[in-house]
Amino acid sequence: MIDYKPGKQAWYEENQPREGKAVDEIWIGDVAGSDVPRCGLTEMIGDIRRRIEGWDTCVVVDSKGVVLGLLRKKELDGDPKATAEQMMRPGPKTFRPNVTLQELLKSMREHEIQTNSLVTTAEGRLLGAISRADAEATLAHEQAAETRTDS
Amino acid sequence: MSAQVFSVADVKQLLDQGAQLVDVLGEDEFEHDHLPGAINIPLKQLDATTAARLDRNRPVLVYCNDFG
Repeated sequence: MIDYKPGKQAWYEENQPREGKAVDEIWIGDVAGSDVPRCGLTEMIGDIRRRIEGWDTCVVVDSKGVVLGLLRKKELDGDPKATAEQMMRPGPKTFRPNVTLQELLKSMREHEIQTNSLVTTAEGRLLGAISRADAEATLAHEQAAETRTDS
Repeated sequence: MSAQVFSVADVKQLLDQGAQLVDVLGEDEFEHDHLPGAINIPLKQLDATTAARLDRNRPVLVYCNDFG
């Protein structure tokens, strides 16, 4: 007999599938967009800005994809010759993929987060991001569907 | 019990090799969520009778909630 000591939480924190009633819940790992732009510490702001045109967020990661910091519009509009490391907001708040969308939204509302929330594994590896607007819209859509099913 | 700490990749590899996955949490928790393909034998009910469901010729991988 083998004891999988990390347990099911560690499994879910790696964004692995589940069975049971929780399949009907929306976990943020299910809906986070993995296309959020990423950059390295030494990349210059001007180069990043050109590369991610249309985005107002870029996640600074290491070679393993572990989140180091975040560049939002203010930083991306800054000195084009500065590096990501010089400009980034270090250690941004992140969420695990097995947090429900409702829990995420509660936290975003309480902390008045209007932009993207980052979804990472327990080790900090970036899985994706979800915007407040997308989170609100997805939950509203889901609740409307539930109301139709109930009536 | 093995002292090795298994990663998600290790678990997947063992399952691919035919290991059986046993969730030892309570029934309600199991019904809410569990790893794909797991069967439920709550720890308090784990004995020779309940373990008879398992194939003795295949590895058995047990899990609970987390390290705690």
